[in-house]
Amino acid sequence: MRDVHKDQQLRHTPYSIRCDRRMKWHSEDEICITTWRNRKPPGRKMRQNTQDGYTRNWFKVTIPYGIKYDKSWLMNSIQSHCSAPFTPVDFHYIRNRACFFVQDATTASVLKDVSYKICDDENRKICIFVNHSTAPYSVKNKLKPGQMEMLKLTMNKRYNVSQQALDLQNLRFDPDLMGRDIDIILNRRNCMAATLKIIERNFPELLSLNLCNNKLYQLDGLSDIIEKAPKVKTLNLSKNKLESAWELGKVKGLKLEELWLEGNPLCSTFSDQSAYVSAIRDCFPKLLRLDGRELSAPMIVDIDSSEIMKPCKENFTGSETLKHLVLQFLQQYYSIYDSGDRQGLPRCLPDEACFSLAIPFDAEDSAPNSLRKYFEDSRNMKTLKDPHLKGELLRHTKRDIVDSLSALPKTQHDLSSILVDMWCQTEWMLCFSVNGVFKEVEGQSQGSVLAFTRTFIATPGGSSSLCIVNDELFVRDASPQETQSAFSIPVSTLSSSSEPSLSQEQQEMVQAFSAQSGMKLEWSQKCLQDNEWNYTRAGQVFTMLQTEGKIPAEAFKQIS
Amino acid sequence: MGDKPVWEPIGSSFIQHYYQLFGNDRTQLSAVYIDASCLTWEGQQFQGKAAIVEKLSSLPFQKIQHSLMVQDHQPIPDSFIISMVVGQLKADEDPIMGFHQMFLLKNIQVAWVCTDDMFRLALHNFG
Repeated sequence: MRDVHKDQQLRHTPYSIRCDRRMKWHSEDEICITTWRNRKPPGRKMRQNTQDGYTRNWFKVTIPYGIKYDKSWLMNSIQSHCSAPFTPVDFHYIRNRACFFVQDATTASVLKDVSYKICDDENRKICIFVNHSTAPYSVKNKLKPGQMEMLKLTMNKRYNVSQQALDLQNLRFDPDLMGRDIDIILNRRNCMAATLKIIERNFPELLSLNLCNNKLYQLDGLSDIIEKAPKVKTLNLSKNKLESAWELGKVKGLKLEELWLEGNPLCSTFSDQSAYVSAIRDCFPKLLRLDGRELSAPMIVDIDSSEIMKPCKENFTGSETLKHLVLQFLQQYYSIYDSGDRQGLPRCLPDEACFSLAIPFDAEDSAPNSLRKYFEDSRNMKTLKDPHLKGELLRHTKRDIVDSLSALPKTQHDLSSILVDMWCQTEWMLCFSVNGVFKEVEGQSQGSVLAFTRTFIATPGGSSSLCIVNDELFVRDASPQETQSAFSIPVSTLSSSSEPSLSQEQQEMVQAFSAQSGMKLEWSQKCLQDNEWNYTRAGQVFTMLQTEGKIPAEAFKQIS
Repeated sequence: MGDKPVWEPIGSSFIQHYYQLFGNDRTQLSAVYIDASCLTWEGQQFQGKAAIVEKLSSLPFQKIQHSLMVQDHQPIPDSFIISMVVGQLKADEDPIMGFHQMFLLKNIQVAWVCTDDMFRLALHNFG
């Protein structure tokens, strides 16, 4: 357990809590709170003294291992356990921890109570430490009003009203600022905070922000932009010093459509261009352009998933929003799945997910040609005995899943004829099964129609999309009816439109005639009808025509 | 997920138990469901142990035989298991039909129960 007190910012004041073991800390802590409450400060509000920043009113909140958690999720979870809203100041990650500051004692004690109340994805309770602290950096080094004014004027000059774009590239060396000895180093929390404050006040509808060439190596400070200028759609972070794509996670609350990252060390950490694009898109699913290049259609679902994932007992058949969400997801999923390049699918997969498929044949040779290609991957627990193979065929990493999906034959799904069953909804999980047909579009079995039932288990994904944690696919040959009705394939028949229905006897005659002559049922029927249902005469006519070679080959039943 | 795949024997034995009960005496199926369970039978939803057992008992056949052709099981985060079954069934003297059923299983205390169930008949007999 890291010793939080090694942190420089904590100064030893008479009110600080000094101990190394958790139990002791808690008990001393309780005493301290009681003391504060009794001490009740005189009527004035707990406002900090901006000049020296050294007050007893700041508290540093630390979440050990907080680096695992997404900032918005973490702050929202904490906020939901607090009776009153609070403003976190200078939220940042340092080593494995997440830290931020709050200003008053009441908030501090409320936050302390939240410790061990929040559960993360892995069902582990999140621990929250709260200590006295000096004021946070951005407060201690807050820009003076004169500096703020100058910064505001400079930013105004760099603002393009018609495009709602703010160009802050190379801000430090702006002549106006340098001329007045104002050092706006955006890496520093106080400068970034001041800049964002001006944006919040003066350009709240900002659409485009250019932070090129500001030597940024971390984006902790920028993460507040999500609250201050939430409409930003274009962000230019090129030519900075960002080392890892993980930094971008700090601003992923922005619904970016265009992003520039070239010229950052992080760009060369990827094995190839598509891995780079894929990683960035994981962060910003709605992204349309990266480094000036158009990206292929994104997978986006425009509904706020937090609204729909509720245990709805009243309208259990699934709300309209959910249905819409699922159908939209399926359309986008299959458009990528059928596109020939399934590498785009990872965006809807978490790192640990499951996929397996099965076909109803257990020996390769008993499977019809159309299903042979699926046989290798088929995992039928009823007959599969080899434990190694059993394990292999249950794909459970994102990479494995995408690879095995990419290896499956190319398909074209008929989305107009799918039947979707949404059969399970909980707060965090949605199960739905899709029944339908698809066509093989290349290779030996080209044109053959296969039927499938695919069950997806989804959780809310980042930025309002669905994340598929389980995927189970069952594939079989389509029945003749399914083949006919899918893709609207017209069926040619010989029977005329106003066909009187046949009597039982007539039907039997047709069957017998068909068996004897070898002709298909429709042809047999026509022959009998033409001969007024005189079986013998029809037979004679048939034999005569056949000898003369006047009966076309298609009249006869195919030898299957 | 790296350790022994416990979901496989659990899924298999549940399925075996389920179809055995179903074939012998459907009313006993209440043991595998809980009050929060939901059954989606051919697109219609039934919620709660009582409603589910009522639906299953009221199905219009006396005798039913199931023949299972395909089974697959996957683990889901939070200790759930999803089991898929594809097979054929014959009710009374009706023709054989294919069916597809999915079970979502959850561990409650020491037993595994079915929290969600989806059943669909296949349009035709396959295999």
